Amino acid sequence: MEATGRAKLIGLLAWLAGVALAGVATAQEPLKIGAINPYSGPLALYGDEMARGYQIAVNERNAKGGVLGRKIELVRGDATNPQQAIAAVDQLATRDKVEIFVGTYVSAIANAGSDAALRHQKLWWDTNALGAELTERKLANFVRSGPNGSHFAEVSVRAVIEMIAPALGKKPNEITVALEHEDSIYGKTIADVQKARLEEKGVKVVGVGAHNFRATDLTDVVMRARRTNADLWVQTGYVPDTNLMLRTAREQGYKPAAIMTVGTGDTFETLEALSAEYLEGIFVVSYPRADISEKYAPGASRFLDAYRKAYNRDPIAPQSLSAYGGLLTMFDAVQAAGSTDPAKVRAAAAAMDKPLGSYPTGFGAKFDDKFQNTRALPVVIQWQGGKQVTVFPVEARREGVALRNVPRK
Amino acid sequence: MSDVLHVLVVGILLGGIYGLVSIGLNLIFGVIRVVNFAHGELVMLGMYGAFLAYSLLGIDPYLSVVLVVPALFLFGLIVQRLIIEPLQSESMMQMFATFALLTILQNVVLVITRGEGHNVPTKVASLGLELGEIRIPATRLIILIAVTAVAVLLHLFLHRTLIGKSIRAVTQDRQAARLVGINVERTFMVTFGIGAALAGLAGALIAPIYTLSPGIGGNFILAAFAVVVLGGLGSVAGAYFGGMIVGIVEAFAGYYIDPELKQAIWFLIFLAVLVVRPTGLFGQVGAEEVGFREQS
Amino acid sequence: MSSVEVAQRSAPAGSIASFNRTVLLLVGGLALALAPLAVLSDDRFWLNILVYTYLFAGLSVAWNIIAGFGGQFSLGHGVFFAVGAYMTARLYLIWGITPWLGLIPGAVLCALAGPLIFWPTFRLKGAFFAIATLAFNEVGFVLANYLETVTGGPRGLQIPFQASLGNMIFAHPLSYAFLMFGFMAACVSIAVVITRSRLGYYLLAVREDEDAARAAGIDVAGVKLRGTAISAALSAIGGSLFVMYVRTIDPPTLFSLTDVGFKFALLALIGGIGTIIGPVLGAFLIIPAESWLRAELGGGLPGMHLAILGGLMLLAVLFMRRGVTGVLEIVWHRWRSAKERPHD
Repeated sequence: MEATGRAKLIGLLAWLAGVALAGVATAQEPLKIGAINPYSGPLALYGDEMARGYQIAVNERNAKGGVLGRKIELVRGDATNPQQAIAAVDQLATRDKVEIFVGTYVSAIANAGSDAALRHQKLWWDTNALGAELTERKLANFVRSGPNGSHFAEVSVRAVIEMIAPALGKKPNEITVALEHEDSIYGKTIADVQKARLEEKGVKVVGVGAHNFRATDLTDVVMRARRTNADLWVQTGYVPDTNLMLRTAREQGYKPAAIMTVGTGDTFETLEALSAEYLEGIFVVSYPRADISEKYAPGASRFLDAYRKAYNRDPIAPQSLSAYGGLLTMFDAVQAAGSTDPAKVRAAAAAMDKPLGSYPTGFGAKFDDKFQNTRALPVVIQWQGGKQVTVFPVEARREGVALRNVPRK
Repeated sequence: MSDVLHVLVVGILLGGIYGLVSIGLNLIFGVIRVVNFAHGELVMLGMYGAFLAYSLLGIDPYLSVVLVVPALFLFGLIVQRLIIEPLQSESMMQMFATFALLTILQNVVLVITRGEGHNVPTKVASLGLELGEIRIPATRLIILIAVTAVAVLLHLFLHRTLIGKSIRAVTQDRQAARLVGINVERTFMVTFGIGAALAGLAGALIAPIYTLSPGIGGNFILAAFAVVVLGGLGSVAGAYFGGMIVGIVEAFAGYYIDPELKQAIWFLIFLAVLVVRPTGLFGQVGAEEVGFREQS
Repeated sequence: MSSVEVAQRSAPAGSIASFNRTVLLLVGGLALALAPLAVLSDDRFWLNILVYTYLFAGLSVAWNIIAGFGGQFSLGHGVFFAVGAYMTARLYLIWGITPWLGLIPGAVLCALAGPLIFWPTFRLKGAFFAIATLAFNEVGFVLANYLETVTGGPRGLQIPFQASLGNMIFAHPLSYAFLMFGFMAACVSIAVVITRSRLGYYLLAVREDEDAARAAGIDVAGVKLRGTAISAALSAIGGSLFVMYVRTIDPPTLFSLTDVGFKFALLALIGGIGTIIGPVLGAFLIIPAESWLRAELGGGLPGMHLAILGGLMLLAVLFMRRGVTGVLEIVWHRWRSAKERPHD
């Protein structure tokens, strides 16, 4: 009797130990996250930059014990167009056993990739893509933590009305604006929303122009803008065309009272191309920067330090900060959901209600019924002395910051 | 009225860029009869060469020409000898090979630079001429002067020097040239070398204008083909004036019609010329008929 | 006997035995191409690659009809591909027309308009024709971007996921793989029929020596028009199938030279241009290699996998000057002559 009793006890203990070990083993299985971005081709730089932001978020969270008790592992999937996005998702889901997908700032890639992720019943958490249709189509596995193109347009419009017009000494219905944009879906969406919102507020849009971002000459664009005599010149585009346009404007002596670029123009690429002297006073609507006011975006300087330590330089573009912040938001949602199941994570996200300034991007977390984060706002910087200084919204300014060189000399 | 003049000036300056970029392609295409899809990448290499010279040695891009041009000449020799020549009898494979070269060059540069958009500053960036209200930036004026000088020098080279004459001989009739003792293979090597060197020159000179990227060659290659076809194969004057025409058409279309459509417009013109007069403006009638079968 | 004289024959070549042999080879070859499906039917990653392999094999065969057989090296077939894609997508999205029928208008439009568009350029030879068709592709791109009401402009068109046979939308890539295989089989079969027909001989004659063909009484322009019509129609159908697979299209995707327009040529060249099986071999070689390289190296140094792919392509073309079929031919001849050599 005693022997069997002891045997049973040993058996029970062994069984418990086995379960515990199995539990530990599963807990040790890393949680793999697939980062779908262009890591080759013309957009490689920003894809890589975003992945760096993701990696810093992953490292930070792992130091705190991971998510759902598991360490997080980032797996990259290269996609420079929609077809490759599908292939990359397939590959990461089947071979690498990725459980959640995150990406990217190219909307077409996010579109195809998230759709493919749905086929695998996996969540796609988008941190940087701007296309409106991504949330409009109400895909069952999609969440966007970052701003969309409309937000960029709206912040630029608010900046015009609340900051630039007063700086020029004009009322909204007195200021004139010329809009210019690159002719793909990115530039077009933003320009369309800009025009609509500006005109709603009574601002006169005296011209809308489109160009190919790879054009070898933009003198026609500059000459047409000059013809409009606008107070403010707004350009939405990429680095090559923004740089060429500003250079051409300088060569042609085109000096509107104020210049604002949207989406790009805030990196060293533009500084090198044009010099701090010319850029002085130019506004740029962009993702929040890592050197933003700590009060507005707590943790931004933590990110900056981590980036500098890991890569020996300052962040190349602000995309990385939004990627970082977006992933932190996602970790919170997954943790709250207790699972990586898309429906559960989305339910947890829908329940989130964090005010602006909760994350190092200055974003909050409040998702609408299309799972677009309504508390994700781009900011406006102004070039001052060769530095990108956050000037809008006013709460994002550091102490003692004021506008410079408006109107442009 | 001053607008029209202004646009014309813009077009001529742009034409200078197109002409300079295309003049090497004209030579290669006209003499060796190979469609060098990688020509834009040769220009790109010239741009990055200027950037290297600036970042490593601190030289102004206009001075870096002294280094970039010979380097690309050598590169051109190698490409012709190792890639183009072995495929002499398979013209379609040659196209494939230049396309593979394009892929390699673009992506090697991407690997090295991560795609960062570098810029090459120059002391003359702020200088320019002013004709009334029209401003002519020094950077573009230099290119216009350069393309004119190159066109003149190339013409003299082709007509007054022995190598130049052998190049012309080979262009007209390969078999006959061989019969009179011209080493066709070596002539081709020199031709490709010069073509690549000219591309490098173009790259170094336009580096101050554009933000560098590994794929920037693609911005020019189609315009370069349009120029070559418009102007006429193997004609230096053709490349020069063809560039002007493309530049002027683009400038007027961009200003008066729509910047979005300007590319399509000169494409259509290019197509029209191809259909109506495939020899181009200055090419020898029948030159384009010299097909791809009399290659060896 | 020159190909011109061959073309003069009144009836297409072929005894019953030769016909049987062709059918046997065709069926056998297709069965072989189908084999990977059996092995990989569960692996979504490789199934996706197979889908593209079959699709582009078919597209490259279609391209080869006018380019390889007819000698017209076109870089503008992306336009036909795009027309098929846009047309099918539009008909589906606006009027709910099933893509099985919706692919017909695109094909018909390309069959009629394609030759018309290419016709002015037919008198151009070799590289000039190539560049002219390249220009078509570029004009097409600009127009697709500009004509928003037709093509959706830069945003392009998106087809929501609603799986059904009638919608040509499937939940499992295996179904798509079968679909694309069917397309490839159709293209290959049509190519075989053409080579055995008078049109095939005429195309060959035109390719070898256009002037001689004309002198021998062949309607050169008519031959080119007919060849282009078939080639264009098949390319359009390929585009229709493509859009029902990726369900998102935009001008940069459809008019990309590297991924579409030039790719058709690339696959045929590496496989062996002017043969039927060449483009198929090329597709089976390049597309898995490209996808595998991207999967393995894509996350590392930017551009590394493409640099390597480019290097491999360059080596391939330098060592296989007539493509894979060229190498196979050499091997075949050597084996034959080795057999015939007397033993020592």
